[in-house]
Amino acid sequence: MPSKYVIHTETVLRRFQPLIQSGIIAWEEGCLKCPVCVKKKCVYSVYDHRGLNARQMVESIDNECMNCLRCVQGCPNELIHKSINPEFAAMGDEHWTPNIIASLWAQSDSGKIPVSGAGYPGPFSGPGFDAIWTDMSEIVRPTRDGIHGREYISTAVDLGRTPAHLVFDAESGLLEDDSLLMNIPLPIILKVPAFGAISEKTLVGWAEAAKRLGTLFTVPEDMLKAIPADYGRWLFPSFSTASALEGLPDGCRMVELAFEDGLSEAIKRIKDFDPSILVSKKIPMVEGMADRAESLVASGVSIIHLEADFQGRRHDDPGTFLKDGIRSIHLKLVDAGTRDNVTLLASGGISMAEHVAKSIICGSDGVLVDFPMLIALECRMCRRCEKGLSCPVDIQDASAEWTAGRVINLVGAWHNQLLEVMGAMGIRDARRLRGEVGRAMFFDQLDRETFENMGAVVEECELE
Amino acid sequence: MALFYCQNVPESREADRQALEEACGETMALFPMPCSGRVEPVHLLRALEEFADAAYVITCPQGACRNFEGNSRAMKRMERTKSIIESIGLERERVGLIVCSKENPKSLAALAQEILEDISSLGPSPALGPVGGN
Repeated sequence: MPSKYVIHTETVLRRFQPLIQSGIIAWEEGCLKCPVCVKKKCVYSVYDHRGLNARQMVESIDNECMNCLRCVQGCPNELIHKSINPEFAAMGDEHWTPNIIASLWAQSDSGKIPVSGAGYPGPFSGPGFDAIWTDMSEIVRPTRDGIHGREYISTAVDLGRTPAHLVFDAESGLLEDDSLLMNIPLPIILKVPAFGAISEKTLVGWAEAAKRLGTLFTVPEDMLKAIPADYGRWLFPSFSTASALEGLPDGCRMVELAFEDGLSEAIKRIKDFDPSILVSKKIPMVEGMADRAESLVASGVSIIHLEADFQGRRHDDPGTFLKDGIRSIHLKLVDAGTRDNVTLLASGGISMAEHVAKSIICGSDGVLVDFPMLIALECRMCRRCEKGLSCPVDIQDASAEWTAGRVINLVGAWHNQLLEVMGAMGIRDARRLRGEVGRAMFFDQLDRETFENMGAVVEECELE
Repeated sequence: MALFYCQNVPESREADRQALEEACGETMALFPMPCSGRVEPVHLLRALEEFADAAYVITCPQGACRNFEGNSRAMKRMERTKSIIESIGLERERVGLIVCSKENPKSLAALAQEILEDISSLGPSPALGPVGGN
């Protein structure tokens, strides 16, 4: 029995006051001077030690408030109000919502999973991954002693081509095959985000996190120099030109090629240099991606990385989501009978732990995670860095150790959630989850199957 | 300058705030508030103490407060703050309050520009000490 893969997490405190969802507005004027003020009755003692961070103008009462609203309801003269914090509501965009960002911050603090959904009124479906519901039928029969119990749930995945068949010699001895595989303990690879106030310290922190997690870290060629040579084994450099291959780090086990011109020569060059290096080809999620993937597999490429935009949508059609892209490539390769000849990785818009499981259900072998690694460092997705404005949380000044700790906490929380989901599905191996759509329901499909035969709804027709 | 503003002020969303910061650079620190009634004297005084030469509040028009009386309470607090800073020898104009007009609504950027012009004659705050050290 191999030793269990466990991610050890520990609390790594934030450097800045977080933006909170709502703020307390307490009028001081008009106070009736009740013998026992509602502020004194606060069960969290929020009002007992008020403090103001003058640089950020954030008050401790807002950060510590648990939104029970007892004070708001209890004040006889209605002097206490709560209001939505406009800065919180303005964070991110329609994909990287304020709630997702706040949840990622909380997971990065301690590696624990924030409880959410209590009293959730809906909606129960939405765009992209929200249109997939995972099967939790086995949740009534969990493993005997939890996700870290005696029944081992493996999240390890293989990168590379699995052998299509075994070849034996005349004496029934197994002949060696040329397939090359690398095993990583979880289906998550770290990736440098497209924007952010990133410094050398940040890159080293992410590389350290990849090393401690036992996974890989994708770095564009121009950032490789910032990372010390001893991290080479954990790097997965991405090259946009064939000439940049000169900068291949020592010890590196996997390389990504993001260019088309001279692709086969570049692959040959890498194999001549070190035949044990795995080569991945990055393809953007655009029209014709499934055909392109099929032709790459036919030409012998063993790893394909499908990249959507940073909101998980097709580059040339925002109405198509990453799940649809993964599914189209997966099914195309299944039809061609070549799915096991290739590892499919997906990236772009992976923002929650459930997206990892859902991507795999749709047909990918693993995912590359980019912006959550930045949000773990308190990023607010304000994109001020793109305009040359200062980062409100000075990400570039954070130490490598702090960066690594926060990212490990986040990935640890995601790993636990993946175990929970797989345990609830009754699946004990992440490799078995790939393309396992029988363990999920797709809203579009259900909607079509249920209502297709009911005819069109006549608009503006009121029920009597 | 530290500028606190209510979320009802026209053109005061995150994008407008970033555009204003881009234009003004380090001269202005912007703090969006859920309601101008949230601003207490301590906010303005701490801003003057820590980094600002002036601290201003922009409120929504009279009668338009989402919390009914937030802006009128902000006015009372502003008067209190003015008397406090006057008592320690600072000019009353280092803090101030601008009420948006219902009839002639101006954007956050326009109001901020007007305030900057108004306070330009004040010069650096003596409360912050000589340049380069507090």
